[in-house]
Amino acid sequence: MKNQVRTLRTQRSLAQGQLAEAMGVSRQTINSIENERYTPSLPLALALARYFGVAVEEMFDDQGP
Amino acid sequence: MIKDRSQAIMRSRWFTPAFCLALGVVVLATAWLGGQLGTGLFGLVVMAAFGLVILLLTGRSETIRGLTTGRDERFAQIDLKATAVAGLVLILTLIVAWLVEISRGHSGQPYDWLAAIGGLAYVAAIALFRWRG
Repeated sequence: MKNQVRTLRTQRSLAQGQLAEAMGVSRQTINSIENERYTPSLPLALALARYFGVAVEEMFDDQGP
Repeated sequence: MIKDRSQAIMRSRWFTPAFCLALGVVVLATAWLGGQLGTGLFGLVVMAAFGLVILLLTGRSETIRGLTTGRDERFAQIDLKATAVAGLVLILTLIVAWLVEISRGHSGQPYDWLAAIGGLAYVAAIALFRWRG
């Protein structure tokens, strides 16, 4: 699923490992989300949106190709 | 509290290697009881070596870490899919083995009841998880 995780993370100069630690998941999971290979669960999607202070719809786009 | 403690134990980097070693000791004991000490010792060495490899690679490989200490939601999903694939392969193998045995004029045992257990477990799990919602 298309998402803004990488954009928001790099805007805040965060490493994947730092974001992963904050979310309680592995660095590889953050990498998979950013590369659209893994769609996070609803709790993780909400936690990411809350962490970056955006709406979950702004962060994830399920209307993409 | 007990669940938290048991999860903490299972997430320890020592749990899987210790489990491998314990299984090796069980293999040794049962083989010894059956008069096959050599086979039991071989089993213990193989299981201990496997546990050691897991212990040494836990910090380096995500796959090994997922099998031991670090299982997040993505790895839980991977684990579920891998379990499904392993179960499917096992059931198909049992069915093929049963058919081969039948074609040779044998009874088909023990493959018939092993496949039946697998099939019944699948149906029971479907019913249970559907009931739990």
